[in-house]
Amino acid sequence: METEEFVLVRDLLRSFATRFRVGSADDVKPSLGAAAQEALGELGLAELRRSTPPAATVQECALLAEEHGSLPLATSLLGTALLAPELLRLVGVPAAPGRTPTIALARDLRFPAASPSPLVAWDSEGADEALCVLPDGTVTAVGLGPAAPSVDLLRTIRTALPSQHVVGRLDPAGHLRWQAYALIVVASELVGAARSFVAQSVGYARERAQYGRPVGSFQAVQHLLADATVLVEACTSASRYAAWSLDHESPQRALAAARVAKAEVNRSAVEAVYAGMQVFGGIAQTWEHIAHLYLRKVRVGATVLATTADLLTVLAEPEATR
Amino acid sequence: MTDTPLDFGDPADLNRLRTEFRTWLAEHPFPERHLDEPVPVFLHRWHRLLHSGGWVGLDVPERYGGRGLTALHQVAVSDELGACGAPGVPRIGYLAHALLEFASEDQRLRMLPRMLAGDEVWCQGFSEPGAGSDLAGMSTFAERRDDHYVVRGQKLWTSYAQYSDLCLLLARTDREGSPHRSITAFALPLDRAGVTVRPLRAANGDDEFCELFLDDVRLEESERVGSEGDGWPLAMTTVSYERNALDTGHLSKYGLLVERLRSTVRERADTLPDGLRSEIGQCQVDYEVLVAHARRRTAERLSGQPAGPESSVDKLLMTRAEQRLYETALKVFPEQLAEDGGELFGEYLYSRAASVYGGTSQIQRNLIAKRVLHLPSSGRP
Ligand SMILES: Cc1cc2nc3c(=O)[nH]c(=O)nc-3n(C[C@H](O)[C@H](O)[C@H](O)COP(=O)(O)OP(=O)(O)OC[C@H]3O[C@@H](n4cnc5c(N)ncnc54)[C@H](O)[C@@H]3O)c2cc1C
Repeated sequence: METEEFVLVRDLLRSFATRFRVGSADDVKPSLGAAAQEALGELGLAELRRSTPPAATVQECALLAEEHGSLPLATSLLGTALLAPELLRLVGVPAAPGRTPTIALARDLRFPAASPSPLVAWDSEGADEALCVLPDGTVTAVGLGPAAPSVDLLRTIRTALPSQHVVGRLDPAGHLRWQAYALIVVASELVGAARSFVAQSVGYARERAQYGRPVGSFQAVQHLLADATVLVEACTSASRYAAWSLDHESPQRALAAARVAKAEVNRSAVEAVYAGMQVFGGIAQTWEHIAHLYLRKVRVGATVLATTADLLTVLAEPEATR
Repeated sequence: MTDTPLDFGDPADLNRLRTEFRTWLAEHPFPERHLDEPVPVFLHRWHRLLHSGGWVGLDVPERYGGRGLTALHQVAVSDELGACGAPGVPRIGYLAHALLEFASEDQRLRMLPRMLAGDEVWCQGFSEPGAGSDLAGMSTFAERRDDHYVVRGQKLWTSYAQYSDLCLLLARTDREGSPHRSITAFALPLDRAGVTVRPLRAANGDDEFCELFLDDVRLEESERVGSEGDGWPLAMTTVSYERNALDTGHLSKYGLLVERLRSTVRERADTLPDGLRSEIGQCQVDYEVLVAHARRRTAERLSGQPAGPESSVDKLLMTRAEQRLYETALKVFPEQLAEDGGELFGEYLYSRAASVYGGTSQIQRNLIAKRVLHLPSSGRP
């Protein structure tokens, strides 16, 4: 997309987010989620990665995922609009008419392992089936069961039914691309969440007064927020660079960069949200406050697709090729 | 910072440069350090060799002795040096930027090509015994007399002054005015009458930094950099660039050590504890994040954003990467602790300075709080 066009799309998503943002955990209700998902569907973002070549770059998709993470939204942008369409594109299969797929993950929310049971349909608001990528690159479609409880209150997860049929197969390069893309998109949403929450806590620190002055004037608070800012910028640099790499470099290099980004985000997005919560003080510990919605998202997000331990083990080894 | 797509350069173009540079490196093996040769002298030989091939100041305009390419080309060269285990790029990027921005055209034409070639080595005389973090409190004074200045005072921590020809000196030119308008910068030749350089021994045994005594040193008007009172913004520009790992050539140095740690993971697969393995993975993450960050900041700079106060973020990320890296390296190579005096241990000690030089980590956090987040002030500073 041209920059102007991208700014337009981003602004659409931004005003959508302001309109449908969840004000507190009590707002998260199935009826609201469905209405928001329908409105999101009308933005047509699922088309961005459907065609070959895609209408939007990975970098642009990553920025949209950041945007989606920045306000509490109960919609499935990642699963249904960004991830599933890209997977079908990589496999070379058009979406079945009238069907809205999301993606399936292992029960612990990591990339599915060799024996694919049991699975969940991750980020399944508005979805009616889920695509599962097996370690050998085979892509299957699974039906959806009832909702599964999730700690991340903003994310709908449903059990996946065992019945499945093969949709297609990723070639080795496609498989690398898929893993890199998924890691980047998921990491980017968490970056957006951490960035926005830290910004909100900075705003609070400017207003909230104790001892007759704003708490943001205390050096201890300033250093806490400065450190959180460093973490957010580190996450941002890593995920945006990984996204660019997938647009321009070999899939191997892009996957290495994507792993680095997810590892950084797993650790730092959570730390940054902790800092923000500390600055909000007692109010952040209440059910009504949105702080825990962010914490839930980044804390669960840190285990989605690949945990820190998974990633560090791989990253500790030198690559076979440079 | 921008939230629209960034241009990290054309990979094909950068790869061409990499290939060209690799070919050159293959024909010009990097020099061996002689026994007892001081590191700065060795690095200076390396600097001149690199310059002879056109590999210094890639992003400096051609008329000032550079190659007129972009900062992303400079990143690629730094990358390559790290990958092949060579010493890093000469640490002149931040000084060059200060001159590019503040020096007169005449000074730029005269000074920059010599700085890039290594014909004139520069050091940085900002800190004083009484003015470290609080540069505004400096007391070195340059008194104006007709067409020249007379400088009195003392500088401290002036790295490598004993190996340098010129010092980018800050001195007060007005006793009254606000520090932000009363400090002026000079290019001081270190062989000038009245200048005494006394090296100090550092914790790692190196004689990196020096004391500088200035007793009625005469400086010509033509040796002033920028206008009177430009010293503060010039210092801020210099340190902004100094805080980016890219401009100081540190990236390749870290990359080399991370690679060394990662290859031990393969060699010692059976004996390396899991905890240490993930710590090495973490070092790789820190390093790659720093590289991605340096590239992003470079791309932003190329899209027209100045280095600015965000460079404090760069400095803290660089410190994080460096300190964890050397801490981990000592765990991977514990013999370095037993044998005392190993090169790695010296570098480990130096990594502790990362949170002090170029502005301490606390000062970086203050700057982020005030100038990036615009949090309310708690009074001075
Ligand atoms: C290896 C090395 C090389 C150097 N090279 C050069 C050089 O080439 N040229 C040059 O000019 N200088 C150089 N320096 C000096 C360096 O810039 C100063 O050491 C640094 O700015 C800190 O000043 P200080 O040492 O006087 O510490 P101080 O300013 O006295 O600080 C002492 C402690 O107090 C803290 N502190 C101070 N003020 C505040 C505050 N407002 N809020 C919170 N905490 C605060 C500091 O963070 C630090 O922990 C070098 C230093 C080192 C270690």
